[in-house]
Amino acid sequence: MPARRSGTAPLKQVAMVFDLNKCMGCQTCSVGCKVLWTQEEGEDYQWWCSVNTMPGRGYPKDWEGMGGGARQDGRALAGRLPSRAEFGGGWQYNYEEVYTSKEHIPLRPIDGNGTTQWGPNWDEDEGGGRWPNSYFFYLPRLCNHCTRPVCLEACPRGAMYKRPKDGIVLRDEDECRGYRFCMEACPYKKIYFNLARQVSQQCILCFPRLERGVAPACARQCPGRLVFVGYVDDEDGPINQLVYRWRVALPLHPEYGTGPNIFYIPPLAPYRLNADGSLDESTPRIPMQELEQLFGPQVGRALATLKREIAKKRRGEASELMDTLIAYHWNELLGPWTRDPATIRWLRPEASSRGSARRAQPEGR
Amino acid sequence: MSRKRERQQDAAPGGGTPPLLGQPVTRRGFLKGASLGAAALYLTQLGCRGGEEGIRRVVAQPYLYGDWTDLYRQKWRWDKVTWGTHLIDCYPGSCLFRVYTKDGMVWREEQAGRYPEIEPGVPDMNPRGCQKGSCFSDVMYGPERLRYPLRRVGERGSGQWERISWKEALTDVADGILDALEEVGPESVIYELPPGNGGIVNGPLPGWRLSRLIGATVLDSNGMVGDFNVGLYETFGKFQFVSSIDDWFHADLILVWHMNPVYTRIPSVHFVYEARYHGTKVVNIAPDYNASSVHADLWVPVEPGSDAALALAMCRIIIDEGWVNREFVVEQTDLPLLVRLDTQRFLRQTDLAGEGEEARDDQFYVWDEASGGPAPAPRDTLRMNARPALEGRFAVTLASGEQVDVTPVFELLRERLADYTPERAASITGVRPSVIRRLARMVAEAKRVHILQGWNVNKYYHGDLMERSQALLLALTGNFGRKGTGMRGFNSAQLQVGTVVKDHAGIEGFIELADRALDVEEELLQEDPTLTEEMRAIGIEQAEAQRRVLFPYDVGPLTVPAAFYWYWHAGYKDVWDGHPDWSDPAMNRPLGEYLDEAVSKGWWEGVALPQKDRPPRVLLEVAVSTLRRTRGGYKVLREHLWPKLKLIVAVDVRMSSTARQADIVLPAAGFYEKTDFRFPVTDVNFLTFTEQAVKPVGQSKPEWEIFTLLARKIQERALARGVTKASDAAGREFPLDKLVERFTMHGAVRERDGDALAEDIVRDTVRVGALPERTTLKTFRKQGIVRFTGLGQTGGGLNLATDIKPDETVSPLRWHGERQVPYPTLTRRIQFYIDHDWFLEGDEALPRHKPNPQMGGSHPLRMTSGHLRWSIHSTWVANRLMLYTHRGGPFLMMCPEDAEARGLADNDEVRVYNDFDEFRVRIKLSPSVRPGQVIIYHAWEPYQYRNWKPYDTAIPGMIKWLHLAGGYGHLKFWRDNWQPQQADRAIAVEVEKAAGEGAV
Repeated sequence: MPARRSGTAPLKQVAMVFDLNKCMGCQTCSVGCKVLWTQEEGEDYQWWCSVNTMPGRGYPKDWEGMGGGARQDGRALAGRLPSRAEFGGGWQYNYEEVYTSKEHIPLRPIDGNGTTQWGPNWDEDEGGGRWPNSYFFYLPRLCNHCTRPVCLEACPRGAMYKRPKDGIVLRDEDECRGYRFCMEACPYKKIYFNLARQVSQQCILCFPRLERGVAPACARQCPGRLVFVGYVDDEDGPINQLVYRWRVALPLHPEYGTGPNIFYIPPLAPYRLNADGSLDESTPRIPMQELEQLFGPQVGRALATLKREIAKKRRGEASELMDTLIAYHWNELLGPWTRDPATIRWLRPEASSRGSARRAQPEGR
Repeated sequence: MSRKRERQQDAAPGGGTPPLLGQPVTRRGFLKGASLGAAALYLTQLGCRGGEEGIRRVVAQPYLYGDWTDLYRQKWRWDKVTWGTHLIDCYPGSCLFRVYTKDGMVWREEQAGRYPEIEPGVPDMNPRGCQKGSCFSDVMYGPERLRYPLRRVGERGSGQWERISWKEALTDVADGILDALEEVGPESVIYELPPGNGGIVNGPLPGWRLSRLIGATVLDSNGMVGDFNVGLYETFGKFQFVSSIDDWFHADLILVWHMNPVYTRIPSVHFVYEARYHGTKVVNIAPDYNASSVHADLWVPVEPGSDAALALAMCRIIIDEGWVNREFVVEQTDLPLLVRLDTQRFLRQTDLAGEGEEARDDQFYVWDEASGGPAPAPRDTLRMNARPALEGRFAVTLASGEQVDVTPVFELLRERLADYTPERAASITGVRPSVIRRLARMVAEAKRVHILQGWNVNKYYHGDLMERSQALLLALTGNFGRKGTGMRGFNSAQLQVGTVVKDHAGIEGFIELADRALDVEEELLQEDPTLTEEMRAIGIEQAEAQRRVLFPYDVGPLTVPAAFYWYWHAGYKDVWDGHPDWSDPAMNRPLGEYLDEAVSKGWWEGVALPQKDRPPRVLLEVAVSTLRRTRGGYKVLREHLWPKLKLIVAVDVRMSSTARQADIVLPAAGFYEKTDFRFPVTDVNFLTFTEQAVKPVGQSKPEWEIFTLLARKIQERALARGVTKASDAAGREFPLDKLVERFTMHGAVRERDGDALAEDIVRDTVRVGALPERTTLKTFRKQGIVRFTGLGQTGGGLNLATDIKPDETVSPLRWHGERQVPYPTLTRRIQFYIDHDWFLEGDEALPRHKPNPQMGGSHPLRMTSGHLRWSIHSTWVANRLMLYTHRGGPFLMMCPEDAEARGLADNDEVRVYNDFDEFRVRIKLSPSVRPGQVIIYHAWEPYQYRNWKPYDTAIPGMIKWLHLAGGYGHLKFWRDNWQPQQADRAIAVEVEKAAGEGAV
């Protein structure tokens, strides 16, 4: 059984960069993940990957105020456990009644007094500010597979571990007893409790796919081509370049202290309008303070870099950064995991001599 | 209930519980036992839930895992991979997926990511597909899925069904059709074309073929759904020209104007943002700050329906500042053509020719500055030999000896634009003059401007004026017929589909078809030898719309514009005639009088079916959901049309609101259950394949099989009645004893021969050069997609007017732009001046702004719409996973100020009403909604609303009278083209808190 591995740096770290200037909030990442991993009993309300409109209360509702995270010394801080209602969603509907009742009863949830009150994308496209200077953008979130994972620290069972080979944070579901200390400690509230199975669950970064050379579903299925996945340690890779060289990819809430490995290119926005309808080119539409709260003090610099490089392209000059972000070929986004999953040929179980799923060896087509 | 768990349980008869981590699953049993016992049992019989056919029993395999990680490894495994796509009316759609099947069930799907690089330096199209496509497997087995033929046993709409056999169902349908043929005639059988299950082999086409063979009325779907870009058609003589999505990357300036691509074109939007990183400026012009505004450089908020004023003010600035591309304007547009000032008509050859001389009324003139006199504008090329004047007034002596003043259209345009100062436009649009000036400068300075418009603009009452104004802006600056330029239209005509035009299958059928087409072409050429290839192809389509020209025997017309049917038979007469205040005040007679005049003048000769005196009796729809999609339909059609119909048949994959109100419901095979192609659109320019991953779920069948069996049944029952033919009002005869023979293409394509039909379509398309040589069905089984290499030979295909090159994005209209091939308009040029009587009467000969009529009465809020992010029309709209990703039901978006003024809070249930009707819905507040605007997205199922009254209930569905015009060059009906359609944007409503009725 893997032991607690706090403080042990993995050999390599898988990381992702989400370019928020391309994200359109379509939830294909969320749905790709859900259809693959969370369609079983107790998982209806779970969206390991979810996209929210920012500013917004998010999923679970008001997660940013629930606490958790790491102390200066790396120890986990206890936060609040989100309730099932704060996650919302997962409604069961009265299809039967609608299709076969003599009355014209609307399609509605069976439970909860027939109404819905909150869900994983409840405040979609609302945002902040006042018209015509309202503003919003989309923020996809999944487990950050942190460098200092407080979920791991908080687990009294030692059920959680950070894989040495790639830094993915996983939970041994055979060991988990559903105490949910991990959920309390995670400041991003990206851990879910399965009421049916009485275990906690979270993003597994599609490790079965990575093992076969296939990118995670959220990245590979993103039609916005905005998710870079790769090893952050790979110095020539786009992630390393975006995070360390150009410093345009920033972690979410760095002050939580857990060292997230999911990074974001912060959002630009159209010009504001003055009261008389003329353009206000001096004040950013999205208040800088709000972006700093999300992405830390480096966000202004990152946005300035983006604007500078876009301007270069508009003048017809070259920009390595822009070419990286354009990603002319889709595979440039997927790091070492560019394999088409359909080329995998699983051996039939009966063809195997030994009773382990690992017997399945992929074969190239 | 967890869907996957449920699927497993469905597949495990006898209540055997498949293992999940060794624990028995009790939740489903609990639900069944507690509240839904009887209903669940009943529904299993109906097939609305559960279902056992087509699903192989899951073999409970022992878990042989090393540790917990193997559980996840095991999950991500499959037995079989097939190609898949989604046969729905989505633009561009055509997303290639891989479908993963496990234990005999489709387990999940994922974008294939197999699109090759087309043009070096332009991003590729991977991975086409959105969140909806990524969970169709959930709809496929979901509770909304239809599995068995159903017959209503209670009142219509009572929800009381019985499961019947296919034999019984087809007998009922055949008898109903025969009753209608005998009682009224074939026109009384109404066939609606879908978007809902839009395959090419299956989907709408088999029912369409059968309808033509019995002479039924096939309603034109493009006009019905309002997806006809009227303004583009008025200007270009066509609207079916569209760039491939990767061509957007070539634009320097993208104006997202009447499109919300972030909702509606999810897999295509990346080209906009990649272009932006490449230096392109992105501007969004919209009333609200919407999802497609957030990544723009500039967002320009406009009053809903004021866009023509904005565009015309920009045009004025461009002219005033001397930024006009004169070369383009002179060569490509009608702006140099001369207009008589006394009559406001173009100067024509008939004005100048002497007595007895042959003269054309479609020969137009320019003022040649070289010769100082009128010179004919060539009809066979756009190239001008003369040096045409754009300004000035000139005197011309007519054949009668009378001297009249003439002036180029450009001069009239300048006069018209005098009304559109930036200041005046600001008062109409709410856009500051400095912003209008800046926008105009951006358009003028950019080398390549592309307007991304969807089908929002043409759903405004005066949408055609807006489109014409947008087109004018681009024409003045030379932004058509080159890479990275233009406006988005549509095209779905590169594929050569013989189903509704071929008698025989195979090469024999193709040659017959080509021969007959050639005959028509020769006739057309005799009349006018200067007709271009495109014009001749349109001519064949127009001929086919009036009389059959492609079949060797009588068949019904291809399609029929719906407006006449709505007016005469479906209840819209009262609405349209009864509310002049909801129409353009320039109309000085009730709409009905214009309609009568249009008919009596022969403008709709041969196409104005169904006949006034032949009432509808049977409605046959294939995944259309008539009640949901017709504006005001849930109210008007149920009140007026439904009582006239003796039989309503819905063929569908899912229980739509119309199926719910039908008499017979026939289950169709889903997207991963049959061989088919997604109807291709040039936006993607690939033909996309789907194949059978599993057998059709339940007893569902592919549409080809359904309609072949129906043809057999009609013939069998007709002969049993001693009826051998049907005759329509025009005296055409449709023999019923030859129905099967003809339907099956003389036995070549029988009920199970869907693959043969697919092969036939591919073969014909290869033959016309639109697919690479040697492409067969096998090619698709191997690679899933094949890129088109040509336009095909139909009018729609040739409307693209460009060469498809293997290593270039597709930019339409290049034949016009580069080779000076004339446009298929009356003047053979991009035409901004329409000197039709009615257009002159309505003062719309030139583009202008007209205020949006207060449709619905005098109410303060304007209700607008657009496509939902979470559904393609109503497919997926009731899917549980998609419901989880928003508020779980319909909502109306409103700004907090407007809500506060009415004492409303977020998530309150409100009553939305106007003088037409009312509906109830919950509200969602967002500061991004423009004050005075409320937004409700399309297309929730009516059954998602309280009392099943959808938002369409408050939409009267007005049409614009000018679109009934005809007898004028290109203003002539053909399939998908020139016809009226219903307006549904900017409806006047008021909102108040709903009286407490508890939850919705």
